[in-house]
Amino acid sequence: MGGDDGEAAAREGAATHFGFRSVPEGEKAGLVRGVFTSVAARYDLMNDLMSGGVHRLWKDAMMDWLAPRDGQRLLDVAGGTGDIAFRFLRRAPAAAAVVCDMTEAMLAEGRKRAEAARLADRLEWVQGDAMALPFADAGFDVCTISFGIRNVTRPGAALAEAFRVLRPGGRLMVLEFSRVAPEALAWAYDRYSFNVIPAMGRAVTGDRESYQYLVESIRRFPDQERFAAMMRDAGFGLVKYRNLSFGVAALHSGWKL
Amino acid sequence: MTGAGDAAPAGDPPAGPGAGEDARGFDRRMLEALVCPVTHAPLRYDAERQELVSRTAHLAFPVRNGIPILLVSEAREID
Repeated sequence: MGGDDGEAAAREGAATHFGFRSVPEGEKAGLVRGVFTSVAARYDLMNDLMSGGVHRLWKDAMMDWLAPRDGQRLLDVAGGTGDIAFRFLRRAPAAAAVVCDMTEAMLAEGRKRAEAARLADRLEWVQGDAMALPFADAGFDVCTISFGIRNVTRPGAALAEAFRVLRPGGRLMVLEFSRVAPEALAWAYDRYSFNVIPAMGRAVTGDRESYQYLVESIRRFPDQERFAAMMRDAGFGLVKYRNLSFGVAALHSGWKL
Repeated sequence: MTGAGDAAPAGDPPAGPGAGEDARGFDRRMLEALVCPVTHAPLRYDAERQELVSRTAHLAFPVRNGIPILLVSEAREID
């Protein structure tokens, strides 16, 4: 991604994490976009391979808890290739969805899938920033962020934006990697993550570094309780979470009361 | 979508598949949902330049292949 940004970094001051690397805050979005542009074409395949198809169960669990209804308007933030939006529309044939993502390549992939699935006319695709959503206040009934928020430079800002664009009574549901609690399981999960996933990434997509970023970024992200607190800080009420696969992933739900 | 008794907004042609889409499928109806990410003001669609203009922010955001690109980093500064 960029060349030497030492001076810019000094000016910008704040540093953040990009996986286990430390990077100036202003750089992170570009780095993330680089990762997802690189993986976009094989994104869905890699998800299946890395999780043994289990990510589909997690996304189905998200839909079960969400209980989509006809007439609802969904904003799927960092929605990438549209996995969540598609599921939502299948469950609620008279609902509508907007997919917003920072990475053009992911949206382009998603739109291709939508055309193939014949859902194209109920989906809108917008390239935008989760921290500065290009939508008016209170226009959506439901907001989802699935495996996206840990990539956002300032997750708190994304939560505040989700709160803003939801109508009163609206709901936010976040699906994200989280902390595995049972220690023996955590050890096995770490071994799998750090030994298998980057190598799989290189074998399937030729890109080891993006998958190294993936497994590192998971460790950097707040745990279940901490993320629930962040949602409350953003104004959400009735914040609850459910672990999936012993905490490998978690669903967080909150309401704009 | 349309039916007897629906009042069409003044000046719009009758709705139908593809109505309001340009070049590579940017649907003008979507325009109603989008606002400037900086000021939250409404945007004006410039079909010729394929841009969404935010006068309040002095930015013009591109539309590529029918996808609006509402990132400040991709916008063109205007007067």
